[in-house]
Amino acid sequence: MTEKSALLEKLASVVGRENVTDDEGLLSTYRRGGAVEGGEPLAMIRPGSTKEVRELIKLARAEKYNLVFSSSAPPRLRGDSVPRGEGIIVDMSRMDKIVRLDRRNKVALIEAGVTYERLIPEVDKLGLKVLMPLLPKRGKSVLASCLEREPIIIPKYHWDMTDPMLCTELVFGTGDLFRTGSAAGPGTLEQQWAAGAAQKNPMGPAQTDFVRVVQGSQGTMAAVTWCSLKLEVKPRIHKIWFVPDHKLERLIDFTYRSLRPRLGDEWLILNAYALATMITENGQEIPELAKEQAPWTVIYGVSGYEYLPEERVAYQERDLSRHAQQAGVIPVSEVPGCSWKKMERILAAPSPEPYYKTRPKGDFLDIFFLTTLDRVPGFISVMEDVASEFGYPRDRIGVYIQPIQQGRNVHLEFTVYFSPEDRGKGRELYEAASRALSEAGAFFSRPYGIWSELAYARCPDTVRVLRKVKEMLDPDQVLNRGKLCFTPEEVS
Amino acid sequence: MTTATLDTWKEISEAAYQDLENVVGTENVSREPAVLDGYAWQPTINDDPAKWVKRPVAVVLPSSTEEVQEVVRICNRHGLKFKAFSTGWGVYSGPTYDNVVQIDLRRMNRILDIDERNMYALVEPYVCGAQLQAEAMKRGLNCHIIGAGPACSPLASATSGWGVGWDGIYMSYGHRNLLGAEWVLPDGELLRVGSSDSGLGWFSPDGPGPSLRGLMRGSTGALSGLGIFTKCALKLYPWPGPSRVRIRGLLLDAKAEIPENVRFHLCFFPDRNRLADAVYRIGEAEIGYLATRTAVAAFIYTFAPHLLRRIAGTSNLRDVLSKGTKWGFVIMLVGASEEEIDYQDAVLRRILADHEGLSIEAMGVPAIGSMVFMNFFRVTAIPMVFRMGGLFSTALDRNDTWDTQLDWAEIGESIKRKWIERGGILDDLADNPFMALYESNMWAHCEEIFQYDARDPKHLASLEPMFIEFSIAAIEKCMEPLSATDARLRKLVSPLMGHYNEWQKKLSGALDANRAADTGMYCDEIDFDFSKVEPELKAKLDRLTEKFRWTEEGPPS
Amino acid sequence: MALSDYQRDMEGCSRCSSCKWVPFNQIKSWRFAKNCPSICRYNFHAYSGSGRMIIGLSLLTGRSELNDNVAEIVYKCQLCGACDTACKVYRDDIDLTEVLLELRAHCVEQGFLMVEHMAMIDALKREDNVLGEPKAKRGEWAEGLPLKDINRERCEVLFHAGCRYSYDPDLRGTVRGAALLLLEAGLDVGIAGAEESCCGGRAYELGYRGEAENYAEDLLSRVKASGARILVTPCADGYAHFRYLYPRMGKELPCEILHMTQLLDRLVREGRLRFREQFPLLFTYHDPCHLGRMGEPYLGDWKGDKLQRPMSLKRAGRKGVYEAPRNLIQALPGAGLVEMERIREYSWCCGAGGGVHEAFPEFSSWTARERVEEALATGAEALATACPWCVRVLRDASREMRAELPVYDLVDLALQAAGIAEKERV
Repeated sequence: MTEKSALLEKLASVVGRENVTDDEGLLSTYRRGGAVEGGEPLAMIRPGSTKEVRELIKLARAEKYNLVFSSSAPPRLRGDSVPRGEGIIVDMSRMDKIVRLDRRNKVALIEAGVTYERLIPEVDKLGLKVLMPLLPKRGKSVLASCLEREPIIIPKYHWDMTDPMLCTELVFGTGDLFRTGSAAGPGTLEQQWAAGAAQKNPMGPAQTDFVRVVQGSQGTMAAVTWCSLKLEVKPRIHKIWFVPDHKLERLIDFTYRSLRPRLGDEWLILNAYALATMITENGQEIPELAKEQAPWTVIYGVSGYEYLPEERVAYQERDLSRHAQQAGVIPVSEVPGCSWKKMERILAAPSPEPYYKTRPKGDFLDIFFLTTLDRVPGFISVMEDVASEFGYPRDRIGVYIQPIQQGRNVHLEFTVYFSPEDRGKGRELYEAASRALSEAGAFFSRPYGIWSELAYARCPDTVRVLRKVKEMLDPDQVLNRGKLCFTPEEVS
Repeated sequence: MTTATLDTWKEISEAAYQDLENVVGTENVSREPAVLDGYAWQPTINDDPAKWVKRPVAVVLPSSTEEVQEVVRICNRHGLKFKAFSTGWGVYSGPTYDNVVQIDLRRMNRILDIDERNMYALVEPYVCGAQLQAEAMKRGLNCHIIGAGPACSPLASATSGWGVGWDGIYMSYGHRNLLGAEWVLPDGELLRVGSSDSGLGWFSPDGPGPSLRGLMRGSTGALSGLGIFTKCALKLYPWPGPSRVRIRGLLLDAKAEIPENVRFHLCFFPDRNRLADAVYRIGEAEIGYLATRTAVAAFIYTFAPHLLRRIAGTSNLRDVLSKGTKWGFVIMLVGASEEEIDYQDAVLRRILADHEGLSIEAMGVPAIGSMVFMNFFRVTAIPMVFRMGGLFSTALDRNDTWDTQLDWAEIGESIKRKWIERGGILDDLADNPFMALYESNMWAHCEEIFQYDARDPKHLASLEPMFIEFSIAAIEKCMEPLSATDARLRKLVSPLMGHYNEWQKKLSGALDANRAADTGMYCDEIDFDFSKVEPELKAKLDRLTEKFRWTEEGPPS
Repeated sequence: MALSDYQRDMEGCSRCSSCKWVPFNQIKSWRFAKNCPSICRYNFHAYSGSGRMIIGLSLLTGRSELNDNVAEIVYKCQLCGACDTACKVYRDDIDLTEVLLELRAHCVEQGFLMVEHMAMIDALKREDNVLGEPKAKRGEWAEGLPLKDINRERCEVLFHAGCRYSYDPDLRGTVRGAALLLLEAGLDVGIAGAEESCCGGRAYELGYRGEAENYAEDLLSRVKASGARILVTPCADGYAHFRYLYPRMGKELPCEILHMTQLLDRLVREGRLRFREQFPLLFTYHDPCHLGRMGEPYLGDWKGDKLQRPMSLKRAGRKGVYEAPRNLIQALPGAGLVEMERIREYSWCCGAGGGVHEAFPEFSSWTARERVEEALATGAEALATACPWCVRVLRDASREMRAELPVYDLVDLALQAAGIAEKERV
C-alpha cells in the first residue's frame, strides 16, 4: 500500500470511502487562494457529522496530520484554506443542514456547509433577512464568512465583531467538543428549545469566550460544526440611495453624521471603479462606466418595518437629507448604469458567477484591514502612491469602505485587478502596497498570507499569548499548521 | 464563598512588604488590620452569612500600569496572590485566599481620551459611570451604565464583571462594548488586546487573527482571576440631548428638566403573553433607548419603603399592586430629531394598542417624569435597593430570549414567595425582577432581586438555601446560573456545560504559572456543603446533574 | 451614646461607595465628581465614610485593635458630612456622621489623642475658646460699637460672634461690620463680650463631649437671661451646633436661631437694609458645611429600628441654609452668581473642620486648594462664603496658589453694599 493510499484508507475509516478523495481537480483549488500559493493538499474528506469531525481530529493527532477545514466552494479568495505545505482538506459542505429557523427570536441554527444562496430564500419565507457581507461568492458558507469576520453591509446591526454569529459548536484541536454562548447548556439544543431558549446569547459560557478565539483564527484553533445566526426583520419598504461626490471627505462627514444616530440600513462607500465593477457583469464596460461615476459614492438603504413603515422611511429620509445638506452632498436615486432598484437586488444576493471581482481582468487581489473612517483618506494616498510606482493606474484601484461596529471603525478594502498572466506583477504590487499600508498604520485584523508577518511583527505580546492558547487548544498542531503566528518551530 | 475567619490569616512578610513599599511608596501601601478590613467587609450579593471575606495581607495603591506590573511580579516572587479592586460593588471585589495583596486601582482614575467622531473613550479603572457619562454628554455621547449603578467602574464591568444594564436595548452589554484593553497578565507581563497592541489606536478589539478578548472574559469576567485590566477602550453611544441635564435636588427630591427629545412610558399589559409579544415587536421596530420590565412594587420599596410595608400587610392593596400592575414595562424613547421621536412614540403607541397595553406617559406628569428621568438615564436609583433592609441579593440565570427571561422572573417570584412566607427575606411582594433587553432585544436579561437585613439571623440563615434553590431552578430550565462565579456552583455546573472549567483551569495554568491570581471567583472548585439543604432539593439537584452531565459525546439527549 | 450603639449602622454598610461621590444625579464632570476630601487625599477605603464604619465594626468585633495609625485615620476627616448626605440619598438606617463622631469619642476614651487637639481642648478649658486667646480679650472686637451688654441688660437680638471672629485680626472688620449691619437695620442688639464662650461644638467634634455640654448649659442660661428673641451668629460652626447639637443634648435655646446670612437676607427683603453700592463682580459661592448640610436642625431622635424611622426624622442635609447666602449675592447691585459643580448638600468642604486645620494643616490646605480650583473653573471673579473658618483657609489657599480669586465673607460684601464699610472707616 502506498503512503497515499494508506492515508486515504485511514481517512475513509472515519468518513467512509465515498467521502474521501484525492482528485486533483478538486484539490487544485486549494493550491492557491488570494495571494497565498504553494499549498500541497494531499486529500480531501467530507465529514457528515460532528462525531466524524471529532474522530478525524483524533486521528490527525495520532497521525500528525495537518487538517485544513474549508466550508465554502471555490474560488479561494483569501488563502486561509490553502495548506502551508502538505495538508488534508476537510470540506464541511456535507454538513449543510439548516437545523432551525425561529421567526419569533429571529435566529437560524445552521451547519457549516450552509451557503448564503441556500439560506437566503429559506429565511425570506419567514419575513426575515440574512445579514450579509458585500456580494459574497455564491458558494460562500455563511458560517465561514462569520468566522472570518467578513463585514456585513448594515453597520447598525454590527454591534460587535462576532456579529451576526451567535453560538457555536466547536471541536478543538484536542478533539474535545465544546459549545459556546447560551448553547453551552445545560441540556441539548432540543431541551433548550423546549425551555424557550434559542441560542441567542453569544457570550460565554461562564468566564471565557472561546468563540472569539476561534473566530479569525483561520481554522487553527477549532473546527466549527454549526452556529446560530442572528437574523433581522425584512423591511416592508426598502429604498436605496446613492450619494455621489467628487470629495471623499464630504462623504466621510455625511457618513459620520448619519451613522451616529443609526440612520440608514445598508451603508457603504465605493470609488468609481469598485462601483462600476459591481453594477455591470460585462467587464468591457467597466472602464467607461467607472468614468461616468463620481469618484466616490455612498450607497445607503432606508427601511420601514412592520409598524408605520412609511413614517419610518419619511423621518429617516428627512434626517438624512438634513445631514446631506450640512455635509454639502446630495442623495440621488440612481447613478449611471444603476437604478436604486438594481442596487437593491445586487446588495441582497451573493455575487453571480463568475465572482464579480474577476469581471475587469479575470484576476484580482484584495488588500483590506481595519481603521477608522477619518484615517481612510491617508491610506488611500498611500495605496495610490504605491500603485503609481508600479505603473498601475490609480483610477483602476477598487476602493470599498465598509463602516462596521455601528460606524466606530471601517473595513477598508483595496482591490487591484489584473489578467491571470499578469499575476506576478499583481502580486508584487499587492505585497508592496501591503507593506506600505502596514507601515502607515493598517491593522490587518484578518491576517492572511504575508499580512500575518506584517501584523504579528507589530504585536509580540499578542503573539506570545496566542501561542500559549494554540498550545492549549491544538497541542499537536493538527489544525491548519503553520498559519498565523503558529509556525511549528516557533510554537514548540 | 469564603467564610470569614481570621484563624488562618497571617501578616505579610517584611521582605514582601518592603518590596511593595519600594514600588508604590510608603504612603500607598498598608498592612494595618483595620485598613485591610476595609476590603474584607463585602456584604453585597454575598450569600455567606458572615459577610466578611478573607482579609488581604496588604493593600497597595498603584498609580500606573508599570506599578501594577511590579506589584504583580512581587506577588509572583513572594508566593502571594493578588486581587484587583476598582470602584468595588459586591463580594466579587474581595479576596478569597489568605495571602492576597489587594490592588486598589483608585489612583488610576483618568479618562485618557474621548474620540468623539469614532465614539469611544479610553478609561482607567477608577473612572465611574457617572463621570464618564457626564464627560460623554458634553460631546453628544453617552455610555452604558450597568445595573449596579453609576458608582461602578465601566472598565471593571466591561473587562472583569458582567455588564448588565437597562440601556442595553440601545447600548449593549459591557463585554460587547470593549474596543480594546490593557491587561497585566498574572505573571506581570503586559498585553494589549486588539489594535492597541500594534500601536495603532484603540478602535478594534479583535486580532490580528484570533481575538484575545475571548480569553479575558465570557458572559462573566474573570474577576481578577486572570490578571488586571489597567485601561480599556469603551464604545460610547449617541446622546442627542443637552450636554447637561439641569437638575435640582439629590434623588427623591430631584427635579430634572426633561429634554424635549425624550419620552418616557410606563406601560402595563393585561397578561404575560401580551407583554411578551409587545416587547418582541418593540425590538423589531428598533425603538427605545432604555427598557426594562420592573415591578411597580420595586418603585415603591425603593422610593417609599414604609408605604410598601403597609401595602404588604394589607391583602387588598397587595392584590391590586401585585396582580393589577404585574405586567409593567418601562421604556424611554430618545430621538435624534423631532421627527424621530414622534415616529418612535407613534410606533410605541401602536404596539400598545395592538397588545392592549396602556401607558402612563410619565413625562406628561412633570413631577413623576422629572423625578425618575435621571434614575433611569444615569441609573441613580439603583443603590436604593439597599433601602428596604440594608442588603439585597440576586438570582441570575443564563440570558437568552425574552421569553426565557420572563419565565425566570416567574420562577424567581415563586421561590421568593416561599421564603417571604417563611420570614426568610423581606416582603417586597415577591415579584421583583431586574430585566433588560440587549441590542433591540437580540437577547434579554432577568435577575430576581430579594431584600434582606443582614442584622436579622433568620435572614442570614436563608441565604445559602435560597442560593441553592435558585441554582437548581436555573439548571432545570437549561440555564447557566450566572452566579457560577461561586466555586461551589462552578464545580456543579461545569460538567453540565462542556466542562468549561477544565478549559478555564488550563488557561489559568497557561498564563499564571505561579498561581498568583486569586482564582476563587474564576476557576477554583469547592464542594458544596449540603448539610443545610432540604433532602428533596438535594435529590432534585442530583437528578438534574445526572440528566445533564456531558458524556464523551456531548450533552446527553 | 457609645460606638457600640451604632453597631447596626455599621453592619448596615453595603459598601456601595456612594459615600465617596457627589450624589450621582449631580455629577457634572469627571473633575469634580468626588465629595470626600479624606479618601481623595489618602485613597485607602478606610478613609471613606464606609471605610470608617468598617473600622468601627472591626474594632467593636475585635478583629483589629485601636492604635495610633488607626486613630490618625479617624482624625484625618473634616467631619464635613458629605459622606453622610451621599449615603442618605440611599439609606434610611445609617447615621454616618454619628458613627464618625462616636469613633472620635472612642479614640479619646481609649486615650488615642492628637496633641494639637489636646492643645485646643486645654485652651478651651483655660480660656473658653479653641484658639488659646485670652478670655478677657474676647469682647474687644466690639469696642466702640453701640451694642448692649447682655450680662447687664436685655435685648431683642443676641449676637454671638464665635471664637474665630472674636480673635482673628483679619476678620475683625467683618465681625464689627456684622454688628453694624444689624444696628443699621435698627435692631436692638446685645453681646456677651468677654463673657461669650465657645459654642463647644469643636470640642464635641474632637471627641470631648463633656465640654460641649457645659458650654451649651452656659449659653442657654445667658439666652434666657437676655430675653433675646433671636440669636444670630456669623459663625457657621456655632450656628450648626446651636441648631442641632444643643437640642440633641436637651439644651434647646429658647429663641429663634439664625445665621447672619439668614438675618441679613430677611432684613434686605423687608427693606430694612438697603444695598446701594455697585458690585460688578461675578461671584461663586462656597456652602460652608456647618451652614449647609450640617446646619440642618435637630429633627428628633428615633429609638427603634432605623429602617422603620419616619422620614421626617431622617437628617440628610436638605434643611440646611442654602438660599439666604445666594439671595444676598443676588441682591448685590451689579453682582452675578455662578455656581460651582459641588454645591448645597453636596458641597466640597473647605478643609478646616474636624480639627484637621490644627492637626493636619497640609491636608486642610490641600482640601482648600481643591475648592479654589473648582471656584476658578467656574470663571468667577471672586469667591464668597459665610463662615470664618472657610474664609480663613480658602483665603490662605488662594494666596498660596497665587490664584486671582479674592475670597469674601458675605458680611463684608453686605457691609460694602450697604455703604457701611465706608462709614466705619470714616
